[in-house]
Amino acid sequence: MKEKYIHFIAIVIVVTYGGIIVFLYAAEPRSIEEATSKARTTIETIATKGTVVIGTYQVDAAKFNDGLAAFRQDRFVAARDSFELADPEMRDPRTQYYVAYSYYRQGWGRISNDDQLFRRSLEILDRLKVMDPDFRSDDADLKAASPAELRKELEEGLKVTTSDLNPLRVFRERM
Amino acid sequence: MDTEIDKSDLANSLVLPQSGRVNETDAVAERIEDAAVTDQVAARHHARHATYIYLPFIFLTVTLLGGLRFSGGDGSFIFIAPALICLVFALILLILFFRARLISIDGWFTEEFSTLKNLANGSVVLTLFAASAQIFNSLLPERGLPFWVVAFCFFWILWNNLFADFDTKKLLRSLGALFGLAFVAKYMLLANLTAPAERSWLRSLFENPAQEALTWLLDLPRFSPVTGYVQFFAVSLFFLGLFLMPSSTLNKK
Repeated sequence: MKEKYIHFIAIVIVVTYGGIIVFLYAAEPRSIEEATSKARTTIETIATKGTVVIGTYQVDAAKFNDGLAAFRQDRFVAARDSFELADPEMRDPRTQYYVAYSYYRQGWGRISNDDQLFRRSLEILDRLKVMDPDFRSDDADLKAASPAELRKELEEGLKVTTSDLNPLRVFRERM
Repeated sequence: MDTEIDKSDLANSLVLPQSGRVNETDAVAERIEDAAVTDQVAARHHARHATYIYLPFIFLTVTLLGGLRFSGGDGSFIFIAPALICLVFALILLILFFRARLISIDGWFTEEFSTLKNLANGSVVLTLFAASAQIFNSLLPERGLPFWVVAFCFFWILWNNLFADFDTKKLLRSLGALFGLAFVAKYMLLANLTAPAERSWLRSLFENPAQEALTWLLDLPRFSPVTGYVQFFAVSLFFLGLFLMPSSTLNKK
């Protein structure tokens, strides 16, 4: 074998084997099965990041539809799980809007709202503003079609005012 | 004329067999030379394999195993990254290797080599550094007072060695003694002072209070005995790597 091939093989061994060692020490698997599953997750993450870098990143349509179906049935936690799988890099404005909306709907109450869920929804809307400032949903089921409308509703829900004591509040509608 | 022909014939008859003998001797000498060259080429080929394929593999295996421990409870893997002090010790050890001519810098990195060869040599030395760091990680107790005591001893010895005159053999003997003692201290002495993980602390307190008290006082981790065997293998492999390490990668003529 030519000398240069041996040198090349040495570099390949060091990079590959070294990479495996770095992965093992970073992932700290407790068994061989765990090492395999963590390796699979890492490879999937790298592959997703790769698609982002080369500009071919796409939302998983099947998982998005699962999430949407769960969202329509008011199963918000399951919906968010599916949306997370559909858009693992959190780069799709449409999916992220549904995630924000799911927090709003889950946190909404006739008598009181869940402030923690409302705040999470606002955080996602902040991110959405950076991703697509002109985003507008075309889903007729969502009464707040734009992030601005949803933000207004969330901020109103977080404020403590005298109107909170109004007994007629129980008749208000969820957006 | 006749006499001339006879003379030339005679000369031919005299010379021919002689030149044949000369040719035969030359051919044999050539064959011996060829065989020697072939042997040299084969030896160089093996040396190259040892340096660029076996050595990185050995040192990286040591790197992998050096931080590996097995839990005393369920035997699961515990990967312990080296402490910063291990990297400092590994650096001092590399300087010692250079000073004792175990590795000659001129023989490993020179402008005469191609970039690829320099890179390959760099990667081999990098694996040696990583393995050295992990050997210290393997031999240093994980935490608490024993960690600082053994780390201080290592530092003292390595610092002292930096100013001593060494040749390769003496350095390897010194390292063998140093690592051997550290191995005995950690995996035999301290391991025997550690209460087993599978026993509850209350039971340990009744059955062997001294062991339980020392485990608590010295903050000793409870590893499975398999850890000692794996680390013994790692240390042995490290020395095998050092034994195979050529002082230079220059092609000898």
